[in-house]
Amino acid sequence: MIESTAPALSVRDLRKTYSVPERESGMRASIRSLWRRRTSEVVAVAGITFDVAPGEVVGFLGPNGAGKTTTLKMLAGLLHPTAGEARVLGFEPWQREHDYLRQMTLVMGQRNQLVWDIPVADSYELNRAIYAIPIDDYRGALAELDELLELGPLLPKPVRNLSLGERMKCELAGALLHRPRMLFLDEPTLGLDVTAQRRIRAFVAAYAERHQATVLLTSHYMADVEALAERVIVIHRGGLLFDGALGTLVERFSPFKTVTVDLDYPVEGLERFGEIVSIEELRITLRAPKSEAAALTARLLAELPVIDLSVSDPPIDEVIDRVFSAPADEAEPARLVGTSA
Amino acid sequence: MTALRLLWLHLRIGVMNELQYRANFVLQLGESAIGLLTALLGLGIVFAKTDDLGGWSPDELLVVVGIYFLVGGLAQMVVQPSLQRFMEDVRQGTLDFTLTKPVDAQTLVSIRQVEVWKLVDIAIGIGVLVVALVRLGHAIGPAEAAAFLVALLAGAAIVYAFLMILATCVFWFIRLDNILVIFQSMYEAGRWPITIYPSWLRLGLTFLVPIGFAVTVPAQGLVGRLTLELLAGAVALAVAMPLAARWFWHLGLRRYGGASA
Repeated sequence: MIESTAPALSVRDLRKTYSVPERESGMRASIRSLWRRRTSEVVAVAGITFDVAPGEVVGFLGPNGAGKTTTLKMLAGLLHPTAGEARVLGFEPWQREHDYLRQMTLVMGQRNQLVWDIPVADSYELNRAIYAIPIDDYRGALAELDELLELGPLLPKPVRNLSLGERMKCELAGALLHRPRMLFLDEPTLGLDVTAQRRIRAFVAAYAERHQATVLLTSHYMADVEALAERVIVIHRGGLLFDGALGTLVERFSPFKTVTVDLDYPVEGLERFGEIVSIEELRITLRAPKSEAAALTARLLAELPVIDLSVSDPPIDEVIDRVFSAPADEAEPARLVGTSA
Repeated sequence: MTALRLLWLHLRIGVMNELQYRANFVLQLGESAIGLLTALLGLGIVFAKTDDLGGWSPDELLVVVGIYFLVGGLAQMVVQPSLQRFMEDVRQGTLDFTLTKPVDAQTLVSIRQVEVWKLVDIAIGIGVLVVALVRLGHAIGPAEAAAFLVALLAGAAIVYAFLMILATCVFWFIRLDNILVIFQSMYEAGRWPITIYPSWLRLGLTFLVPIGFAVTVPAQGLVGRLTLELLAGAVALAVAMPLAARWFWHLGLRRYGGASA
């Protein structure tokens, strides 16, 4: 596939294997491990390949331990791959050239980079010095971030006095003062309440749009990905499972439709219609294979006192959950990789 | 240049924030005063019995005490707290943020934490040094002044490199909570000129833990007792050790990023 612009990010057969120490339980084994360490190889990323175009926002999905963070860390230049290649903005990330580092940022939801005891504004001042941001650019960037995130009242406060949501806002803003073109966001909404999550999401979308920034985002919250990314990359057990549009993911991995009916009065023996997901008073939710959804709908309408009926795709969370809980042979990466649109 | 600007900024922020906590200042004042008193009492006890300790007169030993406070204050104000934080960062994974910054990472981890109140120790050191020099009365010629300054800078570089090497070990042994304390307790020995110690200890305090170069050698420079050979040796070590520390740091970083495996 030839594109008019070079990809912002290009990954070829990237692999990472960790060697982890192993210790049997028990005192004798512990003592033996003092001089003889047994290690075993753990494959964190088992050869993944993808491209991301400049300005694209891509959701990076996978269960815990799938290799998301490891991949992100390689692309941010923190880890050397065991094999394979990657180019981000034309640089090989793990060379950590300053010209590359000045153009990218890494945000990890579960870790702080603002200094705990000093006011937010002082941490920003340090970042300004580190990135050598000219004072006018800095003021401009801060004003813009303030407009999007309402940072004003938070700036004079020490980080330890901020709530989790406030802290995340400040973390993100601090990571974007130098206006990076490449953003690696690892679980940026972790632990936040729904309002704060929405806030952060809207902000990331606005920033990416305004600055044509490329964003690679991992999250446990499907809502994050649904709101931000048109394209998702799913990795599972270190391998690429799916790469394409979010809608396609649902189509491909969910052979089911959800049918919801509202009844006029209670009816017995609903089991004959198929798998019942839930019954809430007069609202019945059923699951049916895609191919049988139409026939089921007809039967329901004919045989039951239906007031209202709707057919929908199951929630994405449920789809993803099915993908990840599938046994290894079913979710064989090589078999399920889709070609991206 | 960037390093100096960053250091200055950390210092400024440290001062601004620490001014809120006056109790810390009072505590540090107390701690420094006790340290100074102990040092002076020690000198007093020794010189109640004799006028000469291994060739050092009381006022010359005062010079040693002054330099001891000055160098110790410098190390404890910036290098030690910064490296302590660096080791914490490795344990908690927050070193990642340092490594994604477009500045030399070793520089950044060396100057990032400033204990402002250690300025008290530095001030005491300079004060004691001035008093000692006045009491010594003999004019400090340009040669002594130059030897002192060169030896002091060399000593500072050697101490920095030594601490850096200790801290870098954290890449291999994740739990090394107290490694920098080794230096701190050894440094206590530097309150006396290392020439008064038996030769095995003197060698250890020169080459194993380079206290001799940090305190005794600059003091020798100031009182005009430093041989050119020793000064040259100090300078050579001040070049070699930071280079070694740098090499070791890169080795550690390679391990951190999994490039050496």
